[in-house]
Amino acid sequence: MKATFPHLLHLDIALGVLYPTLGVEIITPPPITQKTIEIGVKLAPQNACFPLKVTLANFVEGIELGADTIFMAGGVGPCRFGYYGQIQNIILEDLGYNVDFVLLDHPRYGIRPFIKALQTMAGGRVLSSRVIKVASLAWKVLRFTEDLETERRALRAQVKDRQKLDEIVEGALEQLRQVNNEKSFQAIKEETMKKLDNLERKETEDLIKVGIVGEIYVAQETKINFNVEKILGELGAYVHNSVSTVEYVLHTLPFTRSREKLEAWELAKPYLKRFVGGEGIDTVGSAIRYAQWGFDGVVHLYPFTCMPEVVAKSILTAVSRDYDLPTLHLAIDEHSGEAGLVTRVEAFVDVLERRKKLKKKKVEVS
Amino acid sequence: MKVGIPRGLLFYRFYALWKTFLEELGAEVVISPPTNKGIIQKGLTYAVEEICFPAKVFLGHVLYLKDRVDLIFIPRIVSFHRREYNCPKILALPDLARNLFNIPEERIIGDEINMREEGMRGWRRGFLNIGKHFTTKESKIMKALNLAEKAHKDYQANLKKGMLPEDLIDHKNPLPLREKKIVLLGHTYLLSDSYINMNITEKVNDLNYSVITPDMVDEEKKRYYLSTIPKPSFWTISNEIIGSTLYHLKERKPEVRGFIHLVSFECGPDSLVGELIERLLKREKESLPYLRLEIDEHTGEAGLVTRLEAFVDMMEWRYKSLESYVSPFASS
Repeated sequence: MKATFPHLLHLDIALGVLYPTLGVEIITPPPITQKTIEIGVKLAPQNACFPLKVTLANFVEGIELGADTIFMAGGVGPCRFGYYGQIQNIILEDLGYNVDFVLLDHPRYGIRPFIKALQTMAGGRVLSSRVIKVASLAWKVLRFTEDLETERRALRAQVKDRQKLDEIVEGALEQLRQVNNEKSFQAIKEETMKKLDNLERKETEDLIKVGIVGEIYVAQETKINFNVEKILGELGAYVHNSVSTVEYVLHTLPFTRSREKLEAWELAKPYLKRFVGGEGIDTVGSAIRYAQWGFDGVVHLYPFTCMPEVVAKSILTAVSRDYDLPTLHLAIDEHSGEAGLVTRVEAFVDVLERRKKLKKKKVEVS
Repeated sequence: MKVGIPRGLLFYRFYALWKTFLEELGAEVVISPPTNKGIIQKGLTYAVEEICFPAKVFLGHVLYLKDRVDLIFIPRIVSFHRREYNCPKILALPDLARNLFNIPEERIIGDEINMREEGMRGWRRGFLNIGKHFTTKESKIMKALNLAEKAHKDYQANLKKGMLPEDLIDHKNPLPLREKKIVLLGHTYLLSDSYINMNITEKVNDLNYSVITPDMVDEEKKRYYLSTIPKPSFWTISNEIIGSTLYHLKERKPEVRGFIHLVSFECGPDSLVGELIERLLKREKESLPYLRLEIDEHTGEAGLVTRLEAFVDMMEWRYKSLESYVSPFASS
C-alpha cells in the first residue's frame, strides 16, 4: 500500500513523522503549483469550492507518483467539505484510476467502516503503545509547525532581516521532516526558538495589527492565498491568524474541545446564534475577538462561494459596523489574480495606517 | 397581531403549514406579494453579492415586510429530516435578516426547528417555541399544530397530484397536461417562483412537455433509491433531487424523456449533487438526456429559451435513435 493524502499547510510534515513508524508507505503529493490548480479546475465540478479542486489535484498528482491508496476525511455537513470524498471518489473512478479510497467518515455513517478506515490509516492496529507514542510526537510536530508560522507572521514586520527570518523557519521545517524521536524534536525546537529570539529587531514603532479570519484551508494554505500574510507583513503589519488545524482537530475529536473556538462561538452569539458549518461562526467570533484585542483591521479569506463563509461575510458587515473594525474580504479561487489582490491589500493597509494616525491625533488634541 | 411571511426559500414547501398554524394562533398573516422587479432590486442592493440568488430574493421580501407587519416569521429550519441538514444559509436565515436590516431581535420569529437528532420531538419543540410568541397555553399551540399538519398533508397531496405550489397559493389555473414529460429537478423555491425561474414550467409546456418535480415523487421511493448510493448527502432537498433522479432512471416510464436541473449559480449543495447526478446518469447504459440550467440575477430570458429549445430538439432526436445509442461511459 502506498498512500497519498491532501496538502494542508504543514500537515505533510506531521504525517511524514507519523507514517514511517507505522509501516505505511506514504507518497507526499508534490507541492501545490499552478499546474496543480489547473488539474483540479479541469477535473472538478465547475461550481465546487476551491479546496475540493486543489485536494482532488493533490490526489491525481500523488497517484501519478505511484500511490494506490488515498487517505481522506469526511464529515456530517452542512458544509460541502463532508461530501468531498464521495465526489472525488466518483471522479477518480470515472477517470479510470484504480485506487483504494479510504475515507475516514463520521461514526454516525457506520461504526464499522469508521473503525476499518481508522485501522487502515493506522497501518493495522488502532491502539498500540507504539501508535500512541508516535501519534503524540506527530501531534507535537504539527503544533510546532503552527507555532513557527505564528512567530513568522508576528515577526516579519519587526525584524531587520526578513530573509534571515524565512531562512530560519524554512530550515526548521526542513529539519522537522527528519524527526523520529522526542529528543531530536526538542533539540530542533529549542535551537529554532533561540535563533528567532536572537534576530535583530527594528526600533519598536507603533505597528498596525491585522487579524486573519476565514475558512480553514484557504486562510492557512499560503500557496493558495498568495501568501497574504507575507504581503501584509512586508507592508509593515503585525499579523495574527485565528485559523489553526490543531484547534480544528481538537474541536472535532470526541473528548477534547478547543478553548479558543468555544470562546469565539460565545462571542459570536449576539450576531450568529448557531453553528452553520465549516468555520462560519468561528470567523464571526474571531473578528469580534480581534476588535476586543484592539486590532486595527481584519482580513477575511475564504473560497469563492463557500457557504458558511458567505453567511459569515454577511454578518461581518454588522460586526464591522458595530465595532468600527475595517474588514477586507478576499474570495479566493482559480480566477483570483495576484496583482489585483496585492493592490487591494496595499490599499487596505494604507487605510489602516491613516485611521491609526487620525486616532492618535484625536487623543493628543483632547 | 400582524405576522409577515416572506415569500421565498422554504415558504413554498411549508406554505399551508405555516399559514394555518399562525392563523390558528390568532395572528393576521401577511404574505409578501409574488416576486417582482422591485423586490429583487432590494435584495440585490442589500445582500452580499456572493449569496445565492434565491436568498437575495428572500431578503428582498423581508425588506418589503419590514415596515408593514409587527412580526416577521423567519424560523430557523435547521433540519426537517432525521440526520440531515439544510444549507448553511437557511440555518442562518434569521441572523442574516436581522443583521442586514438592523431589525431588532424581538421582531423576528426565528425559533429553531431541528429534526436532525430528535426527529418529531425537535419538530414539536420548535413549533411550541414559535407558538409561545402568541399564547402561553401549550394545548392551544398543539391543537394549532395538529390542524396545520393536516393542512400540510393536503397541500403535499395536491402537489403530488401534479399541481404546482403557485397554483395552490395564488389560485392560478394549472397548465394543460402534455403527454410527454420532462423531469424538472431543483430546489422547490427555484422551481416554484415563476418570476425568478423565468416561468420555466410554462415555457416547457409551450414546447409540448409537462414537468414532473421532485414533489410529485413518492417520499418512500425517493428514500429507497437514495439508499442505493454509497453515502447520501446531508442536505434534505438535494437528497430528494438525487432520489427522484434515480427513481425516474430505474423505474423508467416511456413518457419521461429527459432531465432538466435548475440550479442557482451560487448553490453549494447542488454544485456537488449536480455533478453526482450527471455522473450517475452517464454511467447508465441507456440513459436519458440531462440539462443543467444555471440561474442568477444576470440570466437572460432569451438565452434560457434557446437552450431549452435546443435541449428539446436533442431529446426528440435522441428518443428516435435511442435503440442505436449506447453511452460511452456505461459499464457493460
